[in-house]
Amino acid sequence: MGFYISSRPNIAKYVINVASIMMTIPSLALYGVMVVAFAPFKLGLGIVPSVSAITIYSLLPITRNTYLALNQVKPEMIEAARGIGMSKNQILWKIKIPLSIPVIMSGIRIAVVMGVSVATYASLIAAGGLGYFIFAGIGRANLTMVLVGAILISALGIGVNYILLKVEDWITPKGLKVKR
Amino acid sequence: MIELTNVTKKFGNKIAVNNFSLHIEKGSLTMFIGPSGCGKTTTLRMINRLTPFDKGNIIVNDTPINDVNPVELRRNIGYVIQEIGLFPHLTVFENVAIVPRLLKWEQKKIERRIEEILELVTLNQSFAQKYPLQLSGGEKQRVGLARALAAEPEILLMDEPFGAIDPINRLKLQDSFLEIQEEIKKTIVFVTHDINEAIKLGDKIAIINEGNLIQYDNVSKILSDPANEFVENLLGQDRNIKALSLKKAKDYVLKDGFITVLDTESRESVEKKMKEKNIKIAFALDENNHLKSRFVLEKATETKKQKFIYNPAPWIIERQNNINEALSKMLEAGEKQLPVVNRKKEFVGIIKLSNIFEEVNKKTNIS
Ligand SMILES: Nc1ncnc2c1ncn2[C@@H]1O[C@H](COP(=O)(O)OP(=O)(O)O)[C@@H](O)[C@H]1O
Ligand SMILES: [Mg+2]
Repeated sequence: MGFYISSRPNIAKYVINVASIMMTIPSLALYGVMVVAFAPFKLGLGIVPSVSAITIYSLLPITRNTYLALNQVKPEMIEAARGIGMSKNQILWKIKIPLSIPVIMSGIRIAVVMGVSVATYASLIAAGGLGYFIFAGIGRANLTMVLVGAILISALGIGVNYILLKVEDWITPKGLKVKR
Repeated sequence: MIELTNVTKKFGNKIAVNNFSLHIEKGSLTMFIGPSGCGKTTTLRMINRLTPFDKGNIIVNDTPINDVNPVELRRNIGYVIQEIGLFPHLTVFENVAIVPRLLKWEQKKIERRIEEILELVTLNQSFAQKYPLQLSGGEKQRVGLARALAAEPEILLMDEPFGAIDPINRLKLQDSFLEIQEEIKKTIVFVTHDINEAIKLGDKIAIINEGNLIQYDNVSKILSDPANEFVENLLGQDRNIKALSLKKAKDYVLKDGFITVLDTESRESVEKKMKEKNIKIAFALDENNHLKSRFVLEKATETKKQKFIYNPAPWIIERQNNINEALSKMLEAGEKQLPVVNRKKEFVGIIKLSNIFEEVNKKTNIS
Protein backbone atom coordinates (compact mmCIF):
# COMPACT_ATOMS: atom_id res chain seq x y z
CA MET A 1 0.00 0.00 0.00
CA GLY A 2 2.88 2.35 0.83
CA PHE A 3 4.45 1.59 -2.56
CA TYR A 4 1.17 2.19 -4.31
CA ILE A 5 0.44 5.60 -2.81
CA SER A 6 4.05 6.79 -3.00
CA SER A 7 3.59 7.98 -6.57
CA ARG A 8 -0.01 9.11 -6.12
CA PRO A 9 0.12 12.18 -3.88
CA ASN A 10 -3.65 12.82 -4.02
CA ILE A 11 -4.63 9.45 -2.66
CA ALA A 12 -1.63 9.45 -0.36
CA LYS A 13 -2.85 12.56 1.45
CA TYR A 14 -6.07 10.80 2.51
CA VAL A 15 -4.47 7.51 3.39
CA ILE A 16 -1.83 9.17 5.54
CA ASN A 17 -4.41 11.36 7.27
CA VAL A 18 -6.68 8.43 8.02
CA ALA A 19 -3.69 6.43 9.21
CA SER A 20 -2.59 9.21 11.53
CA ILE A 21 -6.09 9.59 13.02
CA MET A 22 -6.45 5.88 13.54
CA MET A 23 -3.16 5.77 15.39
CA THR A 24 -4.45 8.26 17.94
CA ILE A 25 -7.42 6.03 18.85
CA PRO A 26 -6.56 4.35 22.14
CA SER A 27 -5.90 0.70 21.54
CA LEU A 28 -8.48 -0.38 24.09
CA ALA A 29 -11.15 1.60 22.25
CA LEU A 30 -10.17 -0.05 19.00
CA TYR A 31 -10.78 -3.43 20.59
CA GLY A 32 -14.17 -2.18 21.63
CA VAL A 33 -14.95 -1.16 18.09
CA MET A 34 -13.77 -4.51 16.78
CA VAL A 35 -15.83 -6.44 19.27
CA VAL A 36 -18.94 -4.51 18.26
CA ALA A 37 -18.11 -4.80 14.58
CA PHE A 38 -17.63 -8.55 14.69
CA ALA A 39 -20.47 -9.25 17.10
CA PRO A 40 -23.13 -9.75 14.39
CA PHE A 41 -21.04 -12.62 13.01
CA LYS A 42 -20.85 -14.25 16.40
CA LEU A 43 -17.13 -13.51 16.42
CA GLY A 44 -17.33 -10.68 18.92
CA LEU A 45 -14.89 -12.14 21.39
CA GLY A 46 -11.66 -14.06 21.10
CA ILE A 47 -9.02 -14.30 18.43
CA VAL A 48 -10.68 -12.71 15.41
CA PRO A 49 -11.31 -9.17 16.71
CA SER A 50 -7.99 -9.02 18.51
CA VAL A 51 -5.97 -10.11 15.49
CA SER A 52 -7.87 -7.59 13.36
CA ALA A 53 -7.17 -4.80 15.82
CA ILE A 54 -3.48 -5.63 15.97
CA THR A 55 -3.29 -5.86 12.20
CA ILE A 56 -4.91 -2.48 11.67
CA TYR A 57 -2.77 -0.95 14.36
CA SER A 58 0.49 -2.19 12.90
CA LEU A 59 -0.33 -1.60 9.24
CA LEU A 60 -0.61 2.09 9.86
CA PRO A 61 2.98 2.86 10.81
CA ILE A 62 4.22 0.54 8.08
CA THR A 63 2.17 2.29 5.42
CA ARG A 64 3.08 5.71 6.67
CA ASN A 65 6.81 5.01 6.90
CA THR A 66 6.90 3.29 3.53
CA TYR A 67 5.22 6.28 1.96
CA LEU A 68 7.51 8.76 3.67
CA ALA A 69 10.59 6.65 2.89
CA LEU A 70 9.90 6.48 -0.81
CA ASN A 71 9.30 10.20 -0.97
CA GLN A 72 12.42 11.20 0.92
CA VAL A 73 14.65 9.77 -1.82
CA LYS A 74 16.68 12.74 -3.02
CA PRO A 75 15.31 14.42 -6.17
CA GLU A 76 18.71 14.28 -7.89
CA MET A 77 18.59 10.47 -7.65
CA ILE A 78 15.29 10.44 -9.51
CA GLU A 79 16.52 13.05 -11.99
CA ALA A 80 19.66 11.04 -12.73
CA ALA A 81 17.69 7.81 -13.02
CA ARG A 82 15.20 9.35 -15.44
CA GLY A 83 17.98 11.08 -17.34
CA ILE A 84 19.82 7.85 -18.11
CA GLY A 85 16.66 6.18 -19.33
CA MET A 86 15.16 4.14 -16.49
CA SER A 87 11.42 3.55 -16.66
CA LYS A 88 9.07 4.43 -13.76
CA ASN A 89 9.00 0.83 -12.59
CA GLN A 90 12.76 0.45 -12.77
CA ILE A 91 13.18 3.62 -10.76
CA LEU A 92 10.81 2.29 -8.07
CA TRP A 93 12.35 -1.17 -7.79
CA LYS A 94 16.03 -0.49 -8.47
CA ILE A 95 16.45 2.94 -6.90
CA LYS A 96 13.66 4.07 -4.60
CA ILE A 97 13.00 0.84 -2.70
CA PRO A 98 16.64 -0.10 -2.00
CA LEU A 99 17.34 3.45 -0.85
CA SER A 100 14.28 3.38 1.44
CA ILE A 101 14.92 0.09 3.17
CA PRO A 102 16.27 1.58 6.42
CA VAL A 103 13.21 3.79 6.90
CA ILE A 104 10.72 1.13 5.79
CA MET A 105 12.29 -1.37 8.16
CA SER A 106 12.12 1.00 11.09
CA GLY A 107 8.39 1.37 10.35
CA ILE A 108 8.01 -2.39 10.48
CA ARG A 109 9.94 -2.53 13.73
CA ILE A 110 7.76 0.11 15.38
CA ALA A 111 4.67 -1.72 14.14
CA VAL A 112 5.71 -5.07 15.55
CA VAL A 113 6.75 -3.69 18.92
CA MET A 114 3.49 -1.76 19.10
CA GLY A 115 1.66 -4.93 18.13
CA VAL A 116 3.22 -6.71 21.08
CA SER A 117 2.04 -4.09 23.53
CA VAL A 118 -1.39 -3.80 21.97
CA ALA A 119 -1.73 -7.57 22.15
CA THR A 120 -1.64 -7.23 25.91
CA TYR A 121 -5.22 -6.06 25.89
CA ALA A 122 -6.31 -9.02 23.84
CA SER A 123 -6.87 -11.01 27.00
CA LEU A 124 -9.64 -8.59 27.89
CA ILE A 125 -11.72 -9.87 25.03
CA ALA A 126 -11.03 -13.47 25.85
CA ALA A 127 -8.21 -14.05 23.41
CA GLY A 128 -5.74 -15.12 26.09
CA GLY A 129 -2.04 -14.35 25.75
CA LEU A 130 0.54 -12.91 28.11
CA GLY A 131 -1.77 -10.02 28.91
CA TYR A 132 -3.82 -12.50 30.86
CA PHE A 133 -1.22 -12.54 33.64
CA ILE A 134 -1.36 -8.79 34.03
CA PHE A 135 -5.10 -8.37 34.11
CA ALA A 136 -5.72 -11.52 36.12
CA GLY A 137 -2.97 -10.36 38.49
CA ILE A 138 -4.53 -6.92 38.89
CA GLY A 139 -7.88 -8.57 39.52
CA ARG A 140 -6.48 -10.69 42.30
CA ALA A 141 -4.14 -8.01 43.62
CA ASN A 142 -1.29 -10.41 42.94
CA LEU A 143 1.80 -8.29 42.29
CA THR A 144 4.01 -11.22 41.34
CA MET A 145 1.64 -12.26 38.60
CA VAL A 146 1.46 -8.70 37.22
CA LEU A 147 5.25 -8.43 37.28
CA VAL A 148 5.78 -11.75 35.57
CA GLY A 149 3.36 -10.72 32.83
CA ALA A 150 4.94 -7.29 32.39
CA ILE A 151 8.47 -8.66 32.32
CA LEU A 152 7.58 -11.38 29.83
CA ILE A 153 5.88 -8.87 27.55
CA SER A 154 8.81 -6.45 27.72
CA ALA A 155 11.23 -9.28 27.02
CA LEU A 156 9.17 -10.32 24.03
CA GLY A 157 9.13 -6.73 22.73
CA ILE A 158 12.85 -6.24 23.21
CA GLY A 159 13.65 -9.64 21.68
CA VAL A 160 11.54 -9.04 18.61
CA ASN A 161 12.98 -5.56 18.18
CA TYR A 162 16.51 -6.97 18.36
CA ILE A 163 15.81 -9.63 15.77
CA LEU A 164 14.27 -7.06 13.43
CA LEU A 165 17.27 -4.77 13.87
CA LYS A 166 19.46 -7.64 12.71
CA VAL A 167 17.19 -8.22 9.72
CA GLU A 168 17.30 -4.52 8.92
CA ASP A 169 21.07 -4.51 9.02
CA TRP A 170 21.15 -7.59 6.84
CA ILE A 171 18.91 -6.28 4.06
CA THR A 172 20.20 -2.69 4.03
CA PRO A 173 22.39 -2.28 0.92
CA LYS A 174 26.07 -2.28 1.84
CA GLY A 175 26.73 0.99 0.04
CA LEU A 176 24.46 2.83 2.48
CA LYS A 177 26.50 1.66 5.46
CA VAL A 178 30.09 2.22 4.30
CA LYS A 179 32.28 4.73 6.06
CA ARG A 180 34.81 6.86 4.21
CA MET B 1 23.79 16.22 -34.62
CA ILE B 2 21.13 18.21 -32.79
CA GLU B 3 18.80 20.67 -34.46
CA LEU B 4 16.46 22.99 -32.59
CA THR B 5 13.97 24.90 -34.72
CA ASN B 6 11.85 27.71 -33.26
CA VAL B 7 11.56 25.93 -29.94
CA THR B 8 9.46 27.66 -27.29
CA LYS B 9 8.76 26.61 -23.72
CA LYS B 10 6.47 28.32 -21.23
CA PHE B 11 5.98 27.59 -17.55
CA GLY B 12 2.54 29.06 -16.94
CA ASN B 13 2.83 32.59 -18.29
CA LYS B 14 6.58 32.70 -18.01
CA ILE B 15 8.48 32.15 -21.24
CA ALA B 16 11.53 30.09 -20.26
CA VAL B 17 12.80 29.50 -23.80
CA ASN B 18 11.75 31.84 -26.56
CA ASN B 19 11.75 30.75 -30.20
CA PHE B 20 15.15 29.09 -30.08
CA SER B 21 16.90 27.87 -33.22
CA LEU B 22 20.27 26.21 -32.96
CA HIS B 23 22.26 23.73 -35.01
CA ILE B 24 24.78 21.69 -33.06
CA GLU B 25 27.30 19.89 -35.21
CA LYS B 26 28.34 16.30 -34.74
CA GLY B 27 31.50 15.95 -32.68
CA SER B 28 31.49 19.52 -31.42
CA LEU B 29 31.50 20.79 -27.85
CA THR B 30 28.90 23.53 -27.46
CA MET B 31 28.71 25.62 -24.31
CA PHE B 32 25.46 27.21 -23.08
CA ILE B 33 26.15 30.24 -20.95
CA GLY B 34 24.00 32.99 -19.44
CA PRO B 35 22.71 34.31 -16.12
CA SER B 36 20.88 32.06 -13.71
CA GLY B 37 17.29 31.42 -14.80
CA CYS B 38 17.90 32.29 -18.46
CA GLY B 39 16.74 28.89 -19.70
CA LYS B 40 19.94 26.83 -20.08
CA THR B 41 18.77 23.83 -18.08
CA THR B 42 15.32 23.92 -19.65
CA THR B 43 16.84 23.85 -23.15
CA LEU B 44 19.13 20.96 -22.24
CA ARG B 45 16.30 18.96 -20.68
CA MET B 46 14.14 19.44 -23.74
CA ILE B 47 16.76 17.64 -25.83
CA ASN B 48 16.32 14.37 -23.90
CA ARG B 49 12.60 14.94 -23.32
CA LEU B 50 12.84 15.42 -19.56
CA THR B 51 10.97 18.67 -20.22
CA PRO B 52 8.34 18.75 -22.98
CA PHE B 53 8.37 21.80 -25.26
CA ASP B 54 5.34 23.79 -26.42
CA LYS B 55 6.25 24.84 -29.94
CA GLY B 56 8.87 24.13 -32.58
CA ASN B 57 10.83 20.99 -33.30
CA ILE B 58 13.92 19.21 -32.06
CA ILE B 59 15.73 16.71 -34.26
CA VAL B 60 18.41 14.38 -32.96
CA ASN B 61 20.28 12.30 -35.55
CA ASP B 62 17.70 13.01 -38.26
CA THR B 63 14.69 11.94 -36.17
CA PRO B 64 12.27 14.31 -34.45
CA ILE B 65 12.61 13.43 -30.77
CA ASN B 66 8.87 13.40 -30.25
CA ASP B 67 8.75 10.33 -32.53
CA VAL B 68 11.06 8.41 -30.20
CA ASN B 69 10.08 6.76 -26.92
CA PRO B 70 11.59 9.03 -24.26
CA VAL B 71 13.11 6.16 -22.28
CA GLU B 72 14.80 4.79 -25.43
CA LEU B 73 15.94 8.27 -26.41
CA ARG B 74 17.61 8.86 -23.04
CA ARG B 75 19.50 5.57 -23.15
CA ASN B 76 21.24 6.89 -26.24
CA ILE B 77 22.05 10.30 -24.81
CA GLY B 78 24.49 10.60 -21.91
CA TYR B 79 23.35 12.94 -19.14
CA VAL B 80 25.46 14.44 -16.36
CA ILE B 81 24.11 16.81 -13.70
CA GLN B 82 25.82 19.00 -11.12
CA GLU B 83 24.66 16.82 -8.23
CA ILE B 84 25.93 13.83 -10.25
CA GLY B 85 23.27 11.57 -8.70
CA LEU B 86 25.35 8.43 -8.25
CA PHE B 87 23.25 5.74 -6.59
CA PRO B 88 24.75 5.18 -3.12
CA HIS B 89 23.51 1.58 -2.79
CA LEU B 90 25.39 0.52 -5.94
CA THR B 91 29.13 0.14 -6.44
CA VAL B 92 30.97 2.24 -8.99
CA PHE B 93 30.86 -0.77 -11.30
CA GLU B 94 27.10 -1.17 -10.91
CA ASN B 95 26.49 2.54 -11.32
CA VAL B 96 28.45 2.63 -14.56
CA ALA B 97 26.88 -0.62 -15.77
CA ILE B 98 23.29 0.62 -15.46
CA VAL B 99 22.70 1.74 -19.02
CA PRO B 100 24.56 -1.19 -20.64
CA ARG B 101 22.40 -3.49 -18.50
CA LEU B 102 19.22 -1.65 -19.49
CA LEU B 103 20.34 -2.19 -23.08
CA LYS B 104 20.84 -5.89 -22.30
CA TRP B 105 24.53 -6.08 -23.11
CA GLU B 106 26.31 -9.33 -22.36
CA GLN B 107 28.06 -9.50 -18.97
CA LYS B 108 31.50 -10.03 -20.59
CA LYS B 109 31.06 -7.03 -22.81
CA ILE B 110 29.95 -4.91 -19.84
CA GLU B 111 33.02 -5.92 -17.84
CA ARG B 112 35.34 -5.07 -20.69
CA ARG B 113 33.62 -1.74 -21.28
CA ILE B 114 33.84 -0.71 -17.64
CA GLU B 115 37.51 -1.46 -17.48
CA GLU B 116 38.00 0.65 -20.58
CA ILE B 117 35.84 3.53 -19.38
CA LEU B 118 37.51 3.74 -15.95
CA GLU B 119 40.82 3.92 -17.76
CA LEU B 120 39.43 6.71 -19.94
CA VAL B 121 38.38 8.85 -16.98
CA THR B 122 41.69 7.99 -15.24
CA LEU B 123 40.25 6.08 -12.33
CA ASN B 124 42.21 3.13 -11.06
CA GLN B 125 40.46 -0.24 -11.61
CA SER B 126 40.22 -0.70 -7.84
CA PHE B 127 37.49 1.96 -7.81
CA ALA B 128 35.07 -0.45 -9.48
CA GLN B 129 34.16 -2.07 -6.16
CA LYS B 130 33.97 1.14 -4.12
CA TYR B 131 30.72 2.82 -3.13
CA PRO B 132 29.89 6.46 -3.95
CA LEU B 133 30.06 7.46 -0.27
CA GLN B 134 33.75 6.48 -0.34
CA LEU B 135 34.65 8.87 -3.17
CA SER B 136 35.82 12.50 -3.26
CA GLY B 137 33.88 15.11 -5.23
CA GLY B 138 36.22 14.93 -8.20
CA GLU B 139 36.17 11.12 -8.25
CA LYS B 140 32.36 11.14 -8.14
CA GLN B 141 32.27 13.49 -11.08
CA ARG B 142 34.57 11.15 -13.05
CA VAL B 143 32.28 8.23 -12.26
CA GLY B 144 29.29 10.35 -13.32
CA LEU B 145 30.99 10.98 -16.65
CA ALA B 146 31.89 7.29 -16.97
CA ARG B 147 28.26 6.33 -16.33
CA ALA B 148 27.03 8.76 -18.96
CA LEU B 149 29.53 7.43 -21.52
CA ALA B 150 29.26 3.74 -20.67
CA ALA B 151 26.87 2.71 -23.42
CA GLU B 152 28.75 4.79 -26.00
CA PRO B 153 26.07 7.38 -26.67
CA GLU B 154 26.83 9.74 -29.52
CA ILE B 155 25.52 12.71 -27.58
CA LEU B 156 26.35 13.93 -24.10
CA LEU B 157 24.35 16.55 -22.18
CA MET B 158 26.10 18.08 -19.17
CA ASP B 159 24.44 20.53 -16.78
CA GLU B 160 27.06 22.49 -14.82
CA PRO B 161 28.96 19.27 -14.13
CA PHE B 162 31.87 20.96 -12.40
CA GLY B 163 29.81 23.65 -10.65
CA ALA B 164 30.11 22.15 -7.17
CA ILE B 165 33.82 21.28 -7.36
CA ASP B 166 36.47 23.47 -5.71
CA PRO B 167 38.41 25.71 -8.14
CA ILE B 168 41.67 23.76 -8.14
CA ASN B 169 40.03 20.41 -8.81
CA ARG B 170 37.70 22.05 -11.31
CA LEU B 171 40.69 23.09 -13.42
CA LYS B 172 42.05 19.54 -13.28
CA LEU B 173 38.69 18.06 -14.27
CA GLN B 174 38.45 20.52 -17.15
CA ASP B 175 41.90 19.53 -18.39
CA SER B 176 41.19 15.85 -18.32
CA PHE B 177 37.69 16.36 -19.74
CA LEU B 178 39.22 18.11 -22.76
CA GLU B 179 41.66 15.27 -23.31
CA ILE B 180 38.84 12.76 -23.08
CA GLN B 181 36.81 14.71 -25.63
CA GLU B 182 39.86 14.86 -27.90
CA GLU B 183 39.82 11.07 -27.79
CA ILE B 184 36.06 10.34 -28.02
CA LYS B 185 34.81 13.25 -30.16
CA LYS B 186 31.22 13.18 -28.91
CA THR B 187 28.57 15.76 -29.65
CA ILE B 188 28.44 17.56 -26.32
CA VAL B 189 26.17 20.26 -24.96
CA PHE B 190 27.66 21.68 -21.78
CA VAL B 191 25.88 24.19 -19.54
CA THR B 192 27.98 26.55 -17.43
CA HIS B 193 27.70 29.97 -15.82
CA ASP B 194 31.47 30.42 -15.76
CA ILE B 195 32.69 32.39 -18.78
CA ASN B 196 36.26 31.16 -18.31
CA GLU B 197 35.05 27.57 -18.39
CA ALA B 198 33.02 28.32 -21.53
CA ILE B 199 36.05 29.82 -23.27
CA LYS B 200 38.42 27.10 -22.13
CA LEU B 201 36.27 24.13 -23.08
CA GLY B 202 34.01 25.20 -25.91
CA ASP B 203 34.33 24.84 -29.65
CA LYS B 204 31.26 27.01 -29.87
CA ILE B 205 29.41 29.11 -27.32
CA ALA B 206 25.68 29.84 -27.21
CA ILE B 207 25.02 32.96 -25.16
CA ILE B 208 21.53 33.05 -23.69
CA ASN B 209 19.64 35.78 -21.87
CA GLU B 210 16.04 35.67 -20.61
CA GLY B 211 15.16 32.77 -22.86
CA ASN B 212 16.62 34.33 -25.99
CA LEU B 213 19.64 33.12 -27.92
CA ILE B 214 21.87 36.20 -28.11
CA GLN B 215 24.90 34.90 -29.97
CA TYR B 216 26.02 31.49 -31.18
CA ASP B 217 29.49 31.31 -32.64
CA ASN B 218 33.01 29.94 -32.47
CA VAL B 219 34.75 30.98 -29.29
CA SER B 220 37.36 33.10 -31.04
CA LYS B 221 34.65 34.85 -33.04
CA ILE B 222 32.69 35.67 -29.90
CA LEU B 223 35.79 37.08 -28.24
CA SER B 224 36.81 39.17 -31.23
CA ASP B 225 33.31 40.17 -32.27
CA PRO B 226 30.75 40.26 -29.45
CA ALA B 227 27.21 40.73 -30.80
CA ASN B 228 26.13 43.40 -28.33
CA GLU B 229 26.75 45.04 -24.98
CA PHE B 230 25.32 42.09 -23.06
CA VAL B 231 27.94 39.78 -24.55
CA GLU B 232 30.70 42.34 -23.96
CA ASN B 233 29.74 42.59 -20.30
CA LEU B 234 29.60 38.84 -19.98
CA LEU B 235 33.10 38.54 -21.44
CA GLY B 236 34.41 41.17 -19.04
CA GLN B 237 37.20 43.72 -19.35
CA ASP B 238 40.05 41.40 -20.16
CA ARG B 239 38.88 40.03 -23.48
CA ASN B 240 42.38 40.02 -24.94
CA ILE B 241 43.78 38.01 -22.10
CA LYS B 242 40.84 35.63 -22.44
CA ALA B 243 41.55 35.31 -26.14
CA LEU B 244 45.03 34.30 -25.15
CA SER B 245 43.58 31.51 -23.07
CA LEU B 246 42.29 29.86 -26.27
CA LYS B 247 45.88 28.80 -26.87
CA LYS B 248 46.75 25.59 -25.10
CA ALA B 249 50.03 24.31 -23.76
CA LYS B 250 49.74 21.38 -26.18
CA ASP B 251 50.17 23.82 -29.10
CA TYR B 252 53.63 24.75 -27.81
CA VAL B 253 55.05 21.43 -26.74
CA LEU B 254 58.66 20.96 -27.87
CA LYS B 255 60.21 17.55 -28.33
CA ASP B 256 63.85 18.64 -28.23
CA GLY B 257 66.27 20.57 -26.05
CA PHE B 258 66.20 17.90 -23.35
CA ILE B 259 66.87 14.20 -22.90
CA THR B 260 64.89 11.56 -21.06
CA VAL B 261 66.42 8.82 -18.95
CA LEU B 262 65.04 5.93 -16.93
CA ASP B 263 64.50 6.77 -13.28
CA THR B 264 66.64 3.78 -12.36
CA GLU B 265 69.71 5.31 -13.96
CA SER B 266 72.44 6.57 -11.62
CA ARG B 267 73.03 10.30 -11.29
CA GLU B 268 76.61 9.99 -12.45
CA SER B 269 75.59 8.30 -15.65
CA VAL B 270 72.90 10.94 -16.29
CA GLU B 271 75.40 13.73 -15.70
CA LYS B 272 77.85 12.13 -18.08
CA LYS B 273 75.25 11.75 -20.82
CA MET B 274 74.16 15.36 -20.47
CA LYS B 275 77.71 16.64 -20.73
CA GLU B 276 78.43 14.46 -23.73
CA LYS B 277 75.35 15.71 -25.59
CA ASN B 278 75.72 19.24 -24.25
CA ILE B 279 72.12 19.24 -22.96
CA LYS B 280 71.09 21.29 -19.94
CA ILE B 281 67.95 19.39 -18.89
CA ALA B 282 67.09 15.73 -18.42
CA PHE B 283 63.84 14.13 -17.25
CA ALA B 284 63.73 10.79 -15.48
CA LEU B 285 60.71 8.64 -16.40
CA ASP B 286 59.53 5.33 -15.04
CA GLU B 287 58.52 2.41 -17.26
CA ASN B 288 55.03 3.93 -17.69
CA ASN B 289 56.45 7.19 -18.99
CA HIS B 290 55.46 8.93 -15.76
CA LEU B 291 57.67 11.89 -14.92
CA LYS B 292 59.63 11.21 -11.73
CA SER B 293 62.37 13.81 -11.46
CA ARG B 294 64.45 16.36 -13.27
CA PHE B 295 68.18 17.01 -13.65
CA VAL B 296 69.62 20.40 -14.49
CA LEU B 297 73.14 21.15 -15.52
CA GLU B 298 73.80 24.80 -14.67
CA LYS B 299 76.18 26.94 -16.67
CA ALA B 300 79.59 27.51 -15.20
CA THR B 301 80.39 31.14 -14.44
CA GLU B 302 83.70 32.82 -13.71
CA THR B 303 83.24 32.44 -10.00
CA LYS B 304 81.33 29.15 -9.83
CA LYS B 305 82.03 25.89 -11.47
CA GLN B 306 79.32 23.93 -13.24
CA LYS B 307 76.59 22.62 -10.91
CA PHE B 308 74.53 19.47 -11.36
CA ILE B 309 71.09 19.72 -9.73
CA TYR B 310 68.67 16.91 -8.92
CA ASN B 311 65.05 17.92 -8.57
CA PRO B 312 62.76 15.15 -7.28
CA ALA B 313 59.35 16.83 -7.75
CA PRO B 314 59.50 19.23 -10.66
CA TRP B 315 56.64 21.60 -11.56
CA ILE B 316 54.53 20.27 -14.39
CA ILE B 317 52.12 21.69 -16.93
CA GLU B 318 49.17 19.75 -18.30
CA ARG B 319 48.74 19.54 -22.05
CA GLN B 320 45.30 21.12 -21.78
CA ASN B 321 46.41 24.04 -19.61
CA ASN B 322 45.87 27.24 -21.53
CA ILE B 323 48.86 29.48 -21.88
CA ASN B 324 47.67 31.84 -19.12
CA GLU B 325 47.81 28.91 -16.73
CA ALA B 326 51.15 27.77 -18.13
CA LEU B 327 52.54 31.28 -17.82
CA SER B 328 51.49 31.71 -14.21
CA LYS B 329 52.96 28.33 -13.29
CA MET B 330 56.28 29.29 -14.87
CA LEU B 331 56.36 32.61 -13.07
CA GLU B 332 55.50 30.96 -9.79
CA ALA B 333 58.12 28.27 -10.27
CA GLY B 334 60.67 30.81 -11.52
CA GLU B 335 61.52 28.57 -14.47
CA LYS B 336 62.07 29.34 -18.14
CA GLN B 337 60.82 25.95 -19.21
CA LEU B 338 58.64 23.27 -17.67
CA PRO B 339 57.75 19.67 -18.56
CA VAL B 340 54.30 18.89 -20.00
CA VAL B 341 52.22 15.80 -19.19
CA ASN B 342 48.90 14.41 -20.41
CA ARG B 343 45.95 13.41 -18.19
CA LYS B 344 47.54 10.02 -17.54
CA LYS B 345 50.58 11.88 -16.21
CA GLU B 346 52.68 10.65 -19.12
CA PHE B 347 55.50 12.96 -20.13
CA VAL B 348 54.96 14.52 -23.56
CA GLY B 349 57.63 17.23 -23.86
CA ILE B 350 58.53 20.71 -22.61
CA ILE B 351 57.16 24.19 -23.02
CA LYS B 352 59.34 27.33 -23.08
CA LEU B 353 58.58 30.74 -21.64
CA SER B 354 60.02 32.43 -24.73
CA ASN B 355 57.44 30.75 -26.97
CA ILE B 356 54.61 31.97 -24.79
CA PHE B 357 55.96 35.51 -24.85
CA GLU B 358 56.00 35.39 -28.64
CA GLU B 359 52.30 34.57 -28.59
CA VAL B 360 51.57 37.37 -26.11
CA ASN B 361 53.48 39.76 -28.33
CA LYS B 362 51.42 38.79 -31.34
CA LYS B 363 48.20 39.51 -29.44
CA THR B 364 49.30 42.82 -28.03
CA ASN B 365 50.41 43.98 -31.46
CA ILE B 366 46.94 43.40 -32.82
CA SER B 367 45.05 45.29 -30.15
N1 LIG C 1 9.53 23.07 -13.49
C1 LIG C 1 9.42 24.42 -13.57
N2 LIG C 1 8.27 25.04 -13.24
C2 LIG C 1 8.15 26.37 -13.33
N3 LIG C 1 9.12 27.19 -13.75
C3 LIG C 1 10.29 26.65 -14.09
C4 LIG C 1 10.50 25.24 -14.02
N4 LIG C 1 11.77 24.98 -14.42
C5 LIG C 1 12.32 26.17 -14.73
N5 LIG C 1 11.45 27.17 -14.54
C6 LIG C 1 11.71 28.61 -14.80
O1 LIG C 1 12.19 28.73 -16.12
C7 LIG C 1 13.26 29.67 -16.19
C8 LIG C 1 14.49 29.02 -16.75
O2 LIG C 1 14.99 28.07 -15.83
P1 LIG C 1 16.30 27.21 -16.08
O3 LIG C 1 16.26 26.65 -17.45
O4 LIG C 1 16.41 26.25 -14.96
O5 LIG C 1 17.44 28.31 -15.98
P2 LIG C 1 19.03 28.15 -15.92
O6 LIG C 1 19.37 26.70 -16.02
O7 LIG C 1 19.53 28.94 -17.07
O8 LIG C 1 19.46 28.74 -14.62
C9 LIG C 1 13.42 30.20 -14.79
O9 LIG C 1 12.74 31.42 -14.68
C10 LIG C 1 12.80 29.15 -13.92
O10 LIG C 1 12.27 29.73 -12.75
MG1 LIG D 1 20.40 25.44 -14.57
